[in-house]
Amino acid sequence: MTVRELAGTQMRFSDLLRSQVIDAEGQEVGDVHDARFVKDGPVQGAFGPGYRLQGLVVGHGNFGVRLGFDRASVKGPWLLKKLFQRLHAEARFVDWSSVDSIEDEKIRLNVRAADLRLVEALPG
Amino acid sequence: MNDNAKRVIDAGLNLLDRQIIDKDGMMAGNVDDLELTFPADGGPPVITGILAGPGALARRLGPRSGAWLESLHSRLHPAEQPGPARVAFGVVRRVADHVEITVSRSELDVSRFEEWVRDKIIAKIPGAEA
Repeated sequence: MTVRELAGTQMRFSDLLRSQVIDAEGQEVGDVHDARFVKDGPVQGAFGPGYRLQGLVVGHGNFGVRLGFDRASVKGPWLLKKLFQRLHAEARFVDWSSVDSIEDEKIRLNVRAADLRLVEALPG
Repeated sequence: MNDNAKRVIDAGLNLLDRQIIDKDGMMAGNVDDLELTFPADGGPPVITGILAGPGALARRLGPRSGAWLESLHSRLHPAEQPGPARVAFGVVRRVADHVEITVSRSELDVSRFEEWVRDKIIAKIPGAEA
């Protein structure tokens, strides 16, 4: 389904995490490692502004990703951080506006992999 | 603006697997998955619910382990087609090392399933009353 067709539907975060990402030229970019959210979405009751999906963290292999040591903002033993940051140095950030469709655990983009930027450290 | 959570998060890192703490400070399960809703007028999805319990966790395990857990959950659950227990994100008070909610654990589906297993299965095991 195209992103426009998904309006009004629901999905699980784990469905995103299982997905393979393919760029506008049909080349595999990697798998979804995580998703970045910004607290500026529609109000969710007592929580206030909700978390709106900003984009996806995409890379190859997911060893150590759940520990977060591949991301600059996460503290941890320096040796593990160096190891995982090297393993995931090629991880890219896919802005949500670059997502064209989501179907059968495949996310297709409207941009080329070469045009994707590196993942920035989380603020604060 | 509410200062009850970080402005920017990586959900897998900052939300998934966090402990849910109810309004009385009691543990109320874990964040096993998240419900994302695409606004009807378009735009990126928003986190609208926390999914907890075996019905939510099953999908995150491998195909074999996940199918086994989902099947076990279906057999044990009193409902005919049980989904995962859902906590609306609107009852979340704060997201930190854990997730604080504004309701009691007894009001959540995840607790109802645990209570059903306790009353219908565990209580019937010999010696359960001791």
